[in-house]
Amino acid sequence: MAIDLTFNEQQRMIQETARSVFERMSSPAAVRRYETDAEEFPRELWRQMAELGWLGMTFPEAYDGLDCPITDQFALYEEIGRALAPTPHLETVALAGELVLRLGSEDQKRRLLPAIAAGETVLTCALMEPDGLYGPAGVALLAEKAGDGFSLTGEKVLVPYARSADLIVCPARTAGAAGAEDGVSLFLVDPKAAGVKLEPMPTMTGQRLSAVRLDGVRVARPDALGPIGGAWPALDDVIARAGVLLSALVAGAGERVLEISVGYAKDRVQFGEPIGKYQAVQYLCSDVAIHARNTRLLALQAAWRIESGTSFHREAALAKASASKAAAAMTYAAQEVHAGIGFMLDYDLQLYTRRAKHWEYSLGDQRHHLERVMAESEAHPRTGVAFFHG
Amino acid sequence: MVDFCPDDTPQLQAWRGEVRAFLEEALPNGMRFDYDYDEDEERWAEYLAFWRKVGAKGWVALTWPKAYYGQDRSAIEKWILQEEFAAHDVPMYPVIGTAVSAAVLRHGTHEQRLRHLKGIAEVTVLWGEGYTEPGAGSDLASLTTRAHRDGDFWVLNGQKTLGTAAHHCQWMNVLARTDPDSKRHNGVSCFMVPLDTPGISMTPLHNMGGGRQNHTFFDNVRVPADCLLGDEGQAWSQIWFGQGGERLDNALPGPEPFSFRVQALMDDLLEYCRTTKRGGVPLSQDPVIRLQLAELMTGVELVKLQTFELFSNIKSRTRQADISQLYLKEFWPRQAQIAMEIVGPMAQVAGGRWARLEGRFQHFFLSSFGNHAGGTSQLKRMTFATRGLGLPR
Repeated sequence: MAIDLTFNEQQRMIQETARSVFERMSSPAAVRRYETDAEEFPRELWRQMAELGWLGMTFPEAYDGLDCPITDQFALYEEIGRALAPTPHLETVALAGELVLRLGSEDQKRRLLPAIAAGETVLTCALMEPDGLYGPAGVALLAEKAGDGFSLTGEKVLVPYARSADLIVCPARTAGAAGAEDGVSLFLVDPKAAGVKLEPMPTMTGQRLSAVRLDGVRVARPDALGPIGGAWPALDDVIARAGVLLSALVAGAGERVLEISVGYAKDRVQFGEPIGKYQAVQYLCSDVAIHARNTRLLALQAAWRIESGTSFHREAALAKASASKAAAAMTYAAQEVHAGIGFMLDYDLQLYTRRAKHWEYSLGDQRHHLERVMAESEAHPRTGVAFFHG
Repeated sequence: MVDFCPDDTPQLQAWRGEVRAFLEEALPNGMRFDYDYDEDEERWAEYLAFWRKVGAKGWVALTWPKAYYGQDRSAIEKWILQEEFAAHDVPMYPVIGTAVSAAVLRHGTHEQRLRHLKGIAEVTVLWGEGYTEPGAGSDLASLTTRAHRDGDFWVLNGQKTLGTAAHHCQWMNVLARTDPDSKRHNGVSCFMVPLDTPGISMTPLHNMGGGRQNHTFFDNVRVPADCLLGDEGQAWSQIWFGQGGERLDNALPGPEPFSFRVQALMDDLLEYCRTTKRGGVPLSQDPVIRLQLAELMTGVELVKLQTFELFSNIKSRTRQADISQLYLKEFWPRQAQIAMEIVGPMAQVAGGRWARLEGRFQHFFLSSFGNHAGGTSQLKRMTFATRGLGLPR
């Protein structure tokens, strides 16, 4: 049987290296610092990740990448989640980088991908608008033809690391009714261009998020990314793919939340016994473990499907739906185990609990992905044994 | 190396085809239903006749060594067989006790294997389980049925309960305390007891799923010394712990039959929602039902993946605490409950022209309260928390 859910040599090496790098460079103290530092993330860590080849990991060798499969990246993301490493990897590499790779002209790929791999440039993606919709319905910002190029007007919100980005990948509507897949285009927006206004958004999460206001921003035709009006299918694929990595991140964070909770339940004595002896507390701890493990299983399956070139939207949606639910459920259960001490900012658990809310919404919440699971199941029904072998 | 693809080689595909062809041929018409607990005499006779055909093919003993009536086939071949059996709604009721074969293969003597395995393989001798007692359920180690040595015999006294279909069986696999001074897990032995031995009596217990379970009473029951299976006093580690901890079903890991049943019910439910209109609109277009269906599909997917994980762990010899049992035990009744909610008031109808899908949903719901077999989900949680997560006992 070829069923094997274990990492290979290379993936174990990435796992070990990432754990020791993040232990060194992304301590809880550093994580706290970069919630508010003038710099949105530690550049030294970013350089280290570039040196280790992690920024171009899945890019082709022709663009200075290592041509690794997504399951290698999966190993890295579990560690990013465990350490809460402050890094724009998801935005720069998994979202923007993948979009450039799939949709970019040869010139765009040559200009951007090696620079990303080298850690010389940071990109982000502006996927959310104020009405909070996911999918093509969430792309309403208007891009009108203006001379040889386009003029963009509207507002994107909750954009991660926007103030550090050299370019913002901005989905916009060049045609089509609200919610239509047709008419979605991508533009590379320079945040320093005239008409762009960045405002940090205060959120509960500790993530560095900004609003990006575009007011008649001119984008030249060569800075469109991919076909005008036809970018949705690739954007949909890339969001799903990044969602799988975000799910791996949530699973990795969950493993750490579990360690913290089990450790506390063993040490904390009340009524003369460690509280971990009480079944109510054992249930809460096992909830954390079950959510983390389930999310990991679903995400790993989705990653494998992407790697093996088969259809993956159903599996990716299952993974992110589970990750969104797990993010909330694991941190809730962990807070319950800790009670008073977990409420204190000095204690590390709160770092996970606050970020979990961001992960829950990011790249589609549970409802959005459950609806996608249903839609995919209707479009491609698989039953019984076929389900096990599909 | 991450791989989620069951290895469908031409040989395995041919094997799947062989199993499927056999089932199309051997299953009586209309036996396409989840009758795990059905107690109708006529049906029982049909099930038994069917299972004897499976036995004649050598498929009950598929993975056993050739020296003991087996075919020495691989775990994946058994997996495929189980998948096809579940997909065809094969009733598992008559073969619940075949799990004893794992213990016989592992811990039985050569003579014991020769004597007992043939009947199990051919389904000519049925075995019941004699573990649970009125006072020892989840806390099985507190069992009080006792056995003492008397010359060449062992003498058993005590009571077992919840023995599924035990009244149909010829033998029972009985756990009894052989060291009267022992406490808990120590001093428990396993006996293979012929149920026609004087001193054994049974009274019926009828369950919600439509089946019969039994109290079994042992009153100075004398069995020959060679009825002891494994070492005296070692049953806990050799027989019981092995079954719960490593799933020694036929000495090879296999998926829980119910992991396929939850999938089969999911298929039925999706099809029902697609083809049934309420207020002129298919149920599958209702936004609330869509979320419920997708959430159930997530659970079914996880049952599958946890089985994969179990298989992968055994293959790679990693010892990772198993959450698959507890997840399935919790998911099964939840799925049943939500399915009833989606189908609506007509779901409670068990038969007649009003029944939806022949009453399948209400039957699945009733059967789901049998999820405690082999240990409650609460027990599995506690075991996972202590043995798996290292919390204090």
